[in-house]
Amino acid sequence: MRSRISLLGWAELVALLLLAVGFIAPMVTRSVLVYSILNQIFIDVIAAESVWIMLRMNLLSFATPAFMAIGGYTVAIAGQYNITDAFLMSTAAFVLPALVAIPLGALVLRLRGTYFVLVTFVLSQIMQLLLFETPGLTGGSNGIAGVPPVTLLGTEMGSNRLVLQFACGLAILATLITGLLTRWFRQHFAAIEENEILAESLGLVVWRYKALGFVVAAGVAGLAGYSLVNMLLTAHPTSFDSATSVDFIAYTIIGGRASILGPVLGTGALVYATNLFGTHGQYAQGLYGVLILVVVLAARGGIVGTIAAVWRRLSGRRS
Amino acid sequence: MEQFLQAAIIGVSLGAQYALLALGFTLIFGILGVVNFSHGGFYMLGGYVAYSCVAGLGLPYPLAVLVAVLATGALGWVFELFLLERLVDDHLATLMLTLGLYLVISTGLLTIFGPLSMEFAFPVTGALHVGPIYVPRENLVVLVVCLAAIAALWLVLYRTDLGRGLRALADDRAVAMAQGLRPKLLFPLAFAIATGLAGLTGALVTPILSLSPGVGDPVLATSFLTVILGGLGSLEGAALAAFVVGIVEAFSSVYFGGSIGALVLFVLVLLLLVFRPTGLLGRTVRGA
Amino acid sequence: MKHGLYVAMLCALPVTAFAQNCEMKLGAMGPMSGGAAQWGLGMYSAAQLAAAEVNQEGGVKIGGKSCKVTVVPYDSKYTADGAAAGSNALAAQDIHLIIGPVGSPEATGIKPVAARNEQIAWNAAYAKNSLETKYPLMFHVGPGPAVWGDAVVKRAMKVFPMKTVTLIAPNDQAGTDTVSVDVEAYKGNGVATTEEYYQRGTTNFAPIVTRILAAKPDVVDTASSPPGDAGVIVKQLRLAGFTGPIGRLGGPGTDEIVRVSGGIDVLKDFYWFETVPTDDPKVREIDAEYRKLLGKDPVGGTAVWADLPAARMTLKAVSIAGTDDAQKVAAALRTLPVEDPNIGKGYWTGKKQFGIAQELHFPFGVGIIKDGKNLGVERQEAKPE
Repeated sequence: MRSRISLLGWAELVALLLLAVGFIAPMVTRSVLVYSILNQIFIDVIAAESVWIMLRMNLLSFATPAFMAIGGYTVAIAGQYNITDAFLMSTAAFVLPALVAIPLGALVLRLRGTYFVLVTFVLSQIMQLLLFETPGLTGGSNGIAGVPPVTLLGTEMGSNRLVLQFACGLAILATLITGLLTRWFRQHFAAIEENEILAESLGLVVWRYKALGFVVAAGVAGLAGYSLVNMLLTAHPTSFDSATSVDFIAYTIIGGRASILGPVLGTGALVYATNLFGTHGQYAQGLYGVLILVVVLAARGGIVGTIAAVWRRLSGRRS
Repeated sequence: MEQFLQAAIIGVSLGAQYALLALGFTLIFGILGVVNFSHGGFYMLGGYVAYSCVAGLGLPYPLAVLVAVLATGALGWVFELFLLERLVDDHLATLMLTLGLYLVISTGLLTIFGPLSMEFAFPVTGALHVGPIYVPRENLVVLVVCLAAIAALWLVLYRTDLGRGLRALADDRAVAMAQGLRPKLLFPLAFAIATGLAGLTGALVTPILSLSPGVGDPVLATSFLTVILGGLGSLEGAALAAFVVGIVEAFSSVYFGGSIGALVLFVLVLLLLVFRPTGLLGRTVRGA
Repeated sequence: MKHGLYVAMLCALPVTAFAQNCEMKLGAMGPMSGGAAQWGLGMYSAAQLAAAEVNQEGGVKIGGKSCKVTVVPYDSKYTADGAAAGSNALAAQDIHLIIGPVGSPEATGIKPVAARNEQIAWNAAYAKNSLETKYPLMFHVGPGPAVWGDAVVKRAMKVFPMKTVTLIAPNDQAGTDTVSVDVEAYKGNGVATTEEYYQRGTTNFAPIVTRILAAKPDVVDTASSPPGDAGVIVKQLRLAGFTGPIGRLGGPGTDEIVRVSGGIDVLKDFYWFETVPTDDPKVREIDAEYRKLLGKDPVGGTAVWADLPAARMTLKAVSIAGTDDAQKVAAALRTLPVEDPNIGKGYWTGKKQFGIAQELHFPFGVGIIKDGKNLGVERQEAKPE
């Protein structure tokens, strides 16, 4: 048990350090390929972390794209009024989805296990239809094109390099929020994950922590939506398709659900692997499928768990 | 009036299709406690197997449908026995396994058959016209097969020892096992029956609509909706809900058009899920 | 799992370490899966053929050297972010010239990102903003119904007298933009119109067919519905007892419509816009040439023929500019006369509709099927703006 806690202890730091490498990358290389892959990783890491927060409480959420949409469209709509300030928009992209999550959470968190999975799946489908049915606000099926680039302290983050560094900053912010939340309430979440009914009977006010987790996960997803819209300069319903939630879940599970390094490494490895398929990206789904099967059947800890197990075996042999 | 009758006919034929899918889906949940994310994959697979038999081997269509049912059933049996069975009590793990299988199936079909839709026609064509109302003959075939499948399933579950065993396992696995029932034998069989039903639907419906990789995606969403509405694990509920979903979809599309109908349906299901998670006919919420 | 990780780590090291012999990569983008796959695959086949032709002559001239052209396809899935991600993925391979994408959502998605990546892109969307003055690197493969709609309706009315038409298309930009312009073409010829929209991804059109029939139109026009969808719509319309002609003032795809609907006898009466005069033997030679140079059949039907001039002219402009830098190639492109050995002579248009004359307007065709017999595609000459 102790080893697991210590792994969690510096896992956040390692995750942040890994992400920070991305911040330096544009100063070292000008390779567009590196830019493109890193950009995708920074966006998807945030989304995967949102999934991971819920998994800490043994809840599998398909609703990530729905909250991403709220964050992303908030920024796109504000952009139409030339509101592009980075601090203001980051706050809005986090707070708005989180606010929406409060009443939703009150409804859906009464459900557990399979029922929660189904209800979040339905939620993301509803969001798609809502985007289509509100053309006045969201541009409907056309989406909102030509979103202006974000401005940070008066500088317009228009170039590829600045977009990448901004995405990196958002990923670090999201990792900080996720890390602080899950470390602060580590024992509460662990108790809920182990046995919710037992935790409740021992006096833990379960709903309070589940609600908190759900709301923060929604806010984090909103940041992912912000980052995505900022890269594409377009908010479009197809960007928030409910099917994309499968990718984020795959990243998290394959990366490993034991620590925050899981979503970070999982996203990094899989986005990179997807790029190896080059322009035949549709085949990457098959790879995800095989990897999910392998992880669930043979390597329950995912990438991080496997590395930790190998590490323990090696260090055990030495001592 | 014409439009009303026509919408009702469309609703029933959609309902028949959805019922076949939802029955398999709910069977797996009821007996194994597994949410089968690969259900749409077996639907597609059924379509492609039937297509390959007709176009590649020159088999007559009914025989091709039979092959499709057996093939999807066999794959389901193997998958349950060798992979799912090991983790059958872990809800999250089984969900991930079926999701993984779905991704593998759909990518496999895309690799083998390519992205374009297949030329795959139903052998029975034309429609019965009664005044301004029409009933496509192919839909009648689907309806008949669907009713037959529901009847067969009911007979198996309620009139055979096998069915009694399956239902006992669904009710209380511990007690059933204490009485000597062997889930290792019965679970793969239940899974095979369910995936066979999905394969049957695929073999029947894809020649009527279209067959291309990706036609499995909406299947999962519809199965979800139907089964939630009917109550997870309830066979009668699933059959009833399938016709409700079909009829609501038909009427809302005929009278409002576009995507409003789908939105209404989804919101309805969301509310139902939240306020009555047991669905229309479900009894208890499984301790999932 | 362990192995997977090692492989991933190994591969991470030498990503761009291969020294290339002189080679230029040309992007091809569009939906290569799903209901509109044919259009995207058409872009790909056209780019491949144009590249093979140039390679036969030794390649394009870049910096005094002859460079072999290779084509890199990208499946943008008919979505905005698919096309935006595609622009990035192609930019990652140092690709500055893209043949594609196809649909309106794709055109919307690629415009800002391709501008940021400094790439030329040739979209084929019938959108109201297919071209914009603020995106000077965007080019348009062919004009939308604003240019040819009237001619098609006039030709169709000679064969199929009509007073009312119902247009059906997906409820997104690709659908609504095309239909609203089609409607003008019909109204201009005294035909009353009603419109019907469906959610993209719909598989069963029976309810929508019921709605269409309630309006009792003389003609149903499938506008810009993807060919796969249009095929199912036709099949279900005929099943419901609709006997009137089917029209199509939208993207090509007659082959696939015939295939999915269940044959030419089911389709029975049909008129459609062809982006090129497909019955012209010179146009048909393109397929034979493709087979000769690439050793297989082209995929994408008539879309290949329509997209080919754009690909050919782009490669020609590369040799003139002596670089594949997007700005310089675009400048060279604008000075090229609109001419294609197979299709004929055309004009740069788009000034009137978009404010920027970067649209290729070639001779086009109107196809007629009457009583299950294909009467062929009538050639219509292009007119300058």
